[in-house]
Amino acid sequence: MVTAITFYIFATILVGSAIMVVFSKNPVHSVLFLILAFFNAAGLFVLLGAEFVAMILVIVYVGAVAVMFLFVVMMLDINFTELRKGVQDYLPIGLLIGFILLAEMVIIAGGWTMTDGIATAMTTATPPASEVTNTDAIGRVLYTDYIFLFQLAGLILLVAMIGAIVLTHRKRDGVKKQNIGDQVRRRRSDAYEAVDVKPGSGI
Amino acid sequence: MEIGIEHYLTVAAMLFTLGVFGIFLNRKNVIIILLSVELILLSVNINLVAFSSYMGDLVGQVFTMLILTVAAAEASIGLAILVVYFRNRGSIAVEDIHLMKG
Amino acid sequence: MNEIFPNLAVAYGEIFLGIGAMALLMIGVFKKDSVNLVSWLSAIFLVVALFLTVAGTGDVTYTFNNMFVADKFTNFMKILVLVAATLAVIMSREFFRLEGDDRFEFPVLMVLSTLGMMVMVSANDLMTLYMGIELQSLALYVLAAFKRDSERSTEAGLKYFVLGALSSGILLYGCSLVYGFIGSTNFSAISMAVSNMGEGGAPVGAIVGLVFVLAGLAFKVSAVPFHMWTPDVYEGSQTPVTAFFAVAPKVAALALLSRTLYVPFGEMSASWGQVVIFMSVASMILGSFAAIMQSNIKRLMAYSSIGHVGFALLGLIAGNAEGLRGVMIYMAIYLVMNVGMFVCIMCMRRKEEGMVEDIKELSGLGRNHPALALAISIFMFSLAGVPPLAGFFAKWYVIIPIVNAGYFTLATIAVLASVVGAYYYIRIVKIMYFDEPVEEFVAQKSFPMKIIATLSAVLVLAFIVPQISSPVLDGATAAAQGLSQK
Repeated sequence: MVTAITFYIFATILVGSAIMVVFSKNPVHSVLFLILAFFNAAGLFVLLGAEFVAMILVIVYVGAVAVMFLFVVMMLDINFTELRKGVQDYLPIGLLIGFILLAEMVIIAGGWTMTDGIATAMTTATPPASEVTNTDAIGRVLYTDYIFLFQLAGLILLVAMIGAIVLTHRKRDGVKKQNIGDQVRRRRSDAYEAVDVKPGSGI
Repeated sequence: MEIGIEHYLTVAAMLFTLGVFGIFLNRKNVIIILLSVELILLSVNINLVAFSSYMGDLVGQVFTMLILTVAAAEASIGLAILVVYFRNRGSIAVEDIHLMKG
Repeated sequence: MNEIFPNLAVAYGEIFLGIGAMALLMIGVFKKDSVNLVSWLSAIFLVVALFLTVAGTGDVTYTFNNMFVADKFTNFMKILVLVAATLAVIMSREFFRLEGDDRFEFPVLMVLSTLGMMVMVSANDLMTLYMGIELQSLALYVLAAFKRDSERSTEAGLKYFVLGALSSGILLYGCSLVYGFIGSTNFSAISMAVSNMGEGGAPVGAIVGLVFVLAGLAFKVSAVPFHMWTPDVYEGSQTPVTAFFAVAPKVAALALLSRTLYVPFGEMSASWGQVVIFMSVASMILGSFAAIMQSNIKRLMAYSSIGHVGFALLGLIAGNAEGLRGVMIYMAIYLVMNVGMFVCIMCMRRKEEGMVEDIKELSGLGRNHPALALAISIFMFSLAGVPPLAGFFAKWYVIIPIVNAGYFTLATIAVLASVVGAYYYIRIVKIMYFDEPVEEFVAQKSFPMKIIATLSAVLVLAFIVPQISSPVLDGATAAAQGLSQK
């Protein structure tokens, strides 16, 4: 009973904030609602017994991705009043198609049952929660059976880093930066030059 | 009252629909499109974790972690492209993306 | 955990490229003015990876907890991917030498993207499939937007990114449904589970999941109706990027699509057959008709590639080893024709204005630059499928299995589409030789470009000679039999 109430609270706020992400007039509000959605999704994950993924969702998504979105939204100097007009043009037909798509997917989801076929196809059964915690269980397979994917994920992050730097990093002229190495290496001879000026001739 | 897997799958289906909806109906702002992509990925994660939990199989959770990682990388590249685009055009309205017809 | 330590031998090529890419990055960062060095080293690394791949026995080997597979099929496709990537790196080197705006990250990103393609080709698990696709696409998004002060390039990058991210999302949703309704993400396990399902067949959820996965993959091969991004991205990106996009990622994605349809879902061909038939027919027709109106040569190549993907998909519809062999031969020939054509496009430039992309400006090329015009004509006739050039055999080897499998209407549509398509290819030859010449332009005279253009032209012409074509044909036959038996 408690589970059901908790589920409905999390699920309702999750869907509600997802709606606000799409329909909010102000992108900053959209990002904030996305953060709310992630928190509630994390709540659902805890209900499902996947605590580790829930924590990662909060740390990685709320901590990094959402903040990055906020940062970019505020950095781009967007004229919010111009963005006021929303999605009204296609709204009716869009809603219709959306509801049909949703209904179909819900019907498909309702047909799920645990069959023998699924039980035999499974490759990595979850160890009983009384013996091994969720984090421990994931750690045991992530670095052994799934090491290949783990390494690939590292390469993907490397590509993202190169990509972000290549695209956005600019060398600007006229920006003054302190270079301590240069300051320390500076010698008296670099700083001034003694010129013997003859009287009446100038330099 | 029992909460079955179909409850979770329904929530995921709603988020997926909202995400697709946000991408196709949004005519004004590219950022909303990027956020909608995040919603789609979140719906996939809910699906995977729900299946993983009800089947008693860990693969779904491993898959979810990989998706989280890749989604973070994808978001950073998307935002980087958006920033350079904004520097060139001074706008991020979807309607303005029409230099090449298509 | 049946293996304590995974068998690394079959993945030496991938491991080498991964480490190599990081080494290149270090060289580029810490050595001043090392763009040339990094570029040539990238090409060398890709060739080394090619040899490491070829050194494999070709026996079916699974490693990394069955998530990675190496067999004759992966070897064949990886050779194509690596050859295409190597040539693209060399071509981009020549391009940037003239264009300026040299940055060493360009070849590094190409290498990383190629690594993603190799993983895609070897994927034996939905997770590997996804990681491979993302490694490849993320690098490609950056390459598309690489000229960051150009409105067109960044717009191309943005469009490609938005649609690519959407397609990844759809693909993932499909993966999650397949995982939930079948119980595994592993191709071997899915294949076993699907064949055990018997009377009732696969659950509806798995079929819907498969359709979602297909939609996501169709985007990567740019098959209709997921082709919208192709013309814009091809036009907006810089030419060497387009040359890279047009070949290597297509080969990898098609290899992945073939494996996904044949291995895990081979028993469900009744479900995916209709979808693939629709995509194939629509791509062939759109590729032929939409190209007629184009005035930009890169846009034309985009529609041409959509049409060619339609033809390649024909082979998959047949659903047997013969059809798969057709797909592999098609991709090999497609590679040669497209690389040659893009070298020619890159050779056309004016001193001040940069690249020439408008088709009208090709007029008089036959008089001003007879060698270049001859090469373009050869590639155009081949792309159109005029016998006895290689392009004709490519189409031949995919249409024959279709006819043998009894799809006569489909074969007729394919022939008609290729006749319509021939119109716009041959129109270019007409413009080059018979239209009033416009101002002459400086053809690029660099040595590697000439070599690549000549070599591919000779290959296209000589494919009819059995000594030239038999390695490709035999390799494809062996590889196709290995894959479709499972």
